[in-house]
Amino acid sequence: MHYGHPLEFGTFITPRSDSPESVVALARRSEELGYDLVTFQDHPYQPAHLDTWTLLSWVAGQTERIRIAANVHNIQLRDPTVLARSAASLDLLSGGRLSLGLGAGAYQMAVAAMGGRGLRAGQAVEALEEAIDIIRGILDTADSAPLSFHGTYYRVSRVQRGPVPAHDIPIWIGARQPRMLRLIGRKADGWLPSLPFLQPGDLTAGNAIIDEAAREAGRDPREIRRLVNIAGRFAPERGGFLEGPSVQWVEELLPLVVEHGVGTFILMSDDERTIEQFAREVAPALREAAERELAGAFLARPIRRASVRARRREGIDYDAIPESLDGAVIEPGDPSYARMRSTYFRGGSPGLVIQPGTTAEVATAVAFARAHRHVPLSIRSGGHGIRGRSTNDGGIVINLSRLRAIEVLDRATRRVRIEPGARWMDVAAALSPYGWALTSGDYGGVGVGGLATAGGIGFLGRKHGLTIDHLRAVEMVLADGAVVRASDDENPDLFWAVRGAGAGFGIVTSFEFEVPEVSNVGWAQLLFDASDIAGFLERWGAIVEASPRELTSFLITSPRRGQPTIAFVLAMVASDNPETIVRCLQPLVNIAPLYDQSAIIAPYATVMANAQSGDYYGRGEPITRSGLIEHITPEFAADAERLLRSGLIYFFQIRAVGGAVSDVPPDATAYANRSANFSVLALGAHRARLDAAWDQIQYHFNGLYLAFETDPRPERLAEAFPPPTLERLRRLKARYDPENLFRDSFDLNPEDASRPAPVETGS
Amino acid sequence: MTDYGHDLCFGAFITPRAQPPHHAVELSLVAEQVGLDLVTFQDHPYQPAFLDTWTLLSYVASRTRSIRLAGNVLNLPLRQPAVLARAVASLDRLSGGRIELGIGAGAFWDAIEAMGGRRLSAGQAVVALEEAITIIRELWDTSQRGGVRVNGTYYQVSGAKRGPAPAHNVEIWIGAYKPRMLQLTGRLGDGWLPSLSYLPGGTAALEEMNRIIDEAAVAAGRSPSAVRRMLNINGQFSSVSQSFLVGPPEKWAEDLADVTLRYGISTFILAADDPYSLELFAREVAPATREIVAAERAKA
Ligand SMILES: Cc1cc2nc3c(=O)[nH]c(=O)nc-3n(C[C@H](O)[C@H](O)[C@H](O)COP(=O)(O)OP(=O)(O)OC[C@H]3O[C@@H](n4cnc5c(N)ncnc54)[C@H](O)[C@@H]3O)c2cc1C
Repeated sequence: MHYGHPLEFGTFITPRSDSPESVVALARRSEELGYDLVTFQDHPYQPAHLDTWTLLSWVAGQTERIRIAANVHNIQLRDPTVLARSAASLDLLSGGRLSLGLGAGAYQMAVAAMGGRGLRAGQAVEALEEAIDIIRGILDTADSAPLSFHGTYYRVSRVQRGPVPAHDIPIWIGARQPRMLRLIGRKADGWLPSLPFLQPGDLTAGNAIIDEAAREAGRDPREIRRLVNIAGRFAPERGGFLEGPSVQWVEELLPLVVEHGVGTFILMSDDERTIEQFAREVAPALREAAERELAGAFLARPIRRASVRARRREGIDYDAIPESLDGAVIEPGDPSYARMRSTYFRGGSPGLVIQPGTTAEVATAVAFARAHRHVPLSIRSGGHGIRGRSTNDGGIVINLSRLRAIEVLDRATRRVRIEPGARWMDVAAALSPYGWALTSGDYGGVGVGGLATAGGIGFLGRKHGLTIDHLRAVEMVLADGAVVRASDDENPDLFWAVRGAGAGFGIVTSFEFEVPEVSNVGWAQLLFDASDIAGFLERWGAIVEASPRELTSFLITSPRRGQPTIAFVLAMVASDNPETIVRCLQPLVNIAPLYDQSAIIAPYATVMANAQSGDYYGRGEPITRSGLIEHITPEFAADAERLLRSGLIYFFQIRAVGGAVSDVPPDATAYANRSANFSVLALGAHRARLDAAWDQIQYHFNGLYLAFETDPRPERLAEAFPPPTLERLRRLKARYDPENLFRDSFDLNPEDASRPAPVETGS
Repeated sequence: MTDYGHDLCFGAFITPRAQPPHHAVELSLVAEQVGLDLVTFQDHPYQPAFLDTWTLLSYVASRTRSIRLAGNVLNLPLRQPAVLARAVASLDRLSGGRIELGIGAGAFWDAIEAMGGRRLSAGQAVVALEEAITIIRELWDTSQRGGVRVNGTYYQVSGAKRGPAPAHNVEIWIGAYKPRMLQLTGRLGDGWLPSLSYLPGGTAALEEMNRIIDEAAVAAGRSPSAVRRMLNINGQFSSVSQSFLVGPPEKWAEDLADVTLRYGISTFILAADDPYSLELFAREVAPATREIVAAERAKA
């Protein structure tokens, strides 16, 4: 009987309270010697021992790789709800190294003396089962509903689940009795008995009970790892069971692997020499012997629990996920799924999230996605996509947030390499010490990947152009899995396309920018009474156009019916000279009555540090319209005022572009609408109504910035990319992505019949 | 004017946020590096946005060398007192005597009950805390022989073995505001640990609260100075002095020295989640406050 679990080895160290240092030293030694696991018994009524939870937490802080577990916790003295949250916490702090060993709790009298319940054996099994349900419930953060559980021994009512642990924490149970074994079959991830306490035949009988209970519960018995605690003595001469030379140990342990499917041996010893000899002589030899005997029988990866498998989505071949992506995939039953599924603006329920840690893993993920063209594919860097659908329903998300390095390649030429998962506030902070800054957008939480493939309209725009105007080279994974570099010299066509339409061509895994020197900047936030909306917009537009390029200003208004209109004007002056700053800001201050104002001189990084670090729990779909415009004409201002007063728009923004943005010829990059002085964006609540209203004022615009546009009608693509640009993009698309794999942001090849219907969950 | 003459101590109150997981760990390392004496974390076991406080304290103790640590304050209703006693003793032994026990009777009873904890009235909770403190101190006391027996209304221990003993004399600090809790603090506490933001009317409220503690201490045959007076504070560093703890470090030092000299508060624990505030507090506010207090005490 074998369950396919690759062999693992652990230690079992007495948590002596009279010599904490020696306990910790043995734990560290276990790590050095290559053990997979270090465990401690838990007897909270035993003052000769350290408290096991405290010790595990301490040891986690003293080690880096080795996994940790109690062997096993006395559940009667550990409240399951608190234990579950503690487990998630320790798993997070240790980087996913915790397993939970649980026991029903023996020593009834000692438990009672401590103020515990002191349950009889039968009750204790029932209580343990309830505790497991609660622990699983608290740790099941993939489920967003609060947890209630009303049992005989424990009651929790509508508590929030979490924290989200770093990994799916396995629950192992120490047990011998048939009732407990059946419980393991139904609910646990591992059976952890101590060999010295077992009678001949117990392993066979126990496995049989567990397997049967597992099958009855609709589980695969291979979900359950078989672990044993072992004890013995090394001696030069052969003697009794595990009393003799290393070869004898190997001979005696091998049948446990081959015949009883044991996957983990935990050595109960506090003797450093024994621990060393076992690691050096027994573990490797046993591994080798097991490989020989069971060639090919080991599972490439653990079989996930049935309850996790039940949440899988149709159309994704989870068993075919390449081994090299182990540890990089999150499926709907995984605890961190809740943190990964949605983006800043959108709720999502992808069937699989792949979080590659290297370019090679991105290529592997792309190959996997290519084999799944029947489900949606999303590419996610910072998760701020407005146009770009960086999550989906039932498909695959390639999430690049682990690729977040920022490094200076050459100080002299100010060449920096930035990975797509970095956020612009991190970029600004990293460049600040050098006195450099790269114009990005207005919000520090936005990701590099989405913005630097679309354009990048930011606060240094009129002085320094778009973000893509500083791009010198990219490394990309194409649809066929090839990793290529693109720059003016290598794949120049691709490099042209990436700057404005990158999302249609592949996944950029690395950006190389030449960044400008930027001293501290002037930064003003002005709050105006904009009751005269049209006049206000017009005056602001005229002043911005007439201002030196040092000034870039954004205007925001969120009209509320029946309330005076307030406009928020943000302005950056790319200079640290107070006189220049005042000269640039003064005209702005006079355009309308001011409610409030502030102006500071600060590093660009300080202005960008405006986002929380954290996860996004967006819902629905953003509904936007946008347009690029040459001037804020009286006609446009009047139309904008009517629209703002209609109540259809809850957020309206105009950003200055022009200046250096317009210095770049339209055919130099795929971002071609270079002549505009302003970019306009509106957010509404109703797609059809917003579209109907916006279509009426459409004639004012001259193209649009695709990153801001969510109208799905095909005309928008032609507005983002004027005819020569769109033609060239389509030609290149046929070359680089003929099967149209990359289309979560825009579809350059809309005739493609194989594409799934777009997800439209918004109203 | 009541100054109990305790040495000044400066600490941090860091939010035990679960994301990013090392947020509190990294700030604790900063706290140690900039020279604060103490790092503390609130304990709300029903709050999944936070890490479990005991786990975090243990982990942070493992990653630091000299800074002292405490819960601020631990939630008794969700922490079994006998297990907690041994956990504290264990961590104190592991950390070389750097742990103190901050504890409270519990608040947010709906949340406690939802977690499966027992709902108590305010009065009951005070009694429960007293029983728990008795159990904890007994379990730590290995100088006595025989098992610990405490037959309380809320907690019973019947013959549990004593030990392990902590590595040092662990102080018990009590988060208290209402008269019965303050009396308990005077009778049994080694420290009193309220938060400025919960004091009705700000620091002026300290006077009356001190008086209740002092009286209870004296009635129990203790000296009022047996109870260290501590305070969780929050404020804002800015270039101009505006109000209490809003201004430059010199202004903070004056404000805090005044609280020490007037109300005998000798431990200030700053709620802050950014390295810069911790650094200003440790490197500028703490020495300046110590200087003012030393000068004034020398005069007295
Ligand atoms: C609050 C907010 C403020 C914003 N402010 C500005 C602004 O000031 N200026 C501005 O120009 N834009 C701004 N934007 C728009 C922003 O530039 C785009 O939404 C951008 O796509 C976000 O990038 P991301 O990596 O965070 O997004 P994600 O949601 O991760 O990605 C969005 C799309 O970009 C594509 N993509 C992502 N990563 C890659 C990659 N590595 N390779 C190829 N394609 C990729 C995919 O198609 C994906 O669907 C803002 C957006 C928000 C939500």
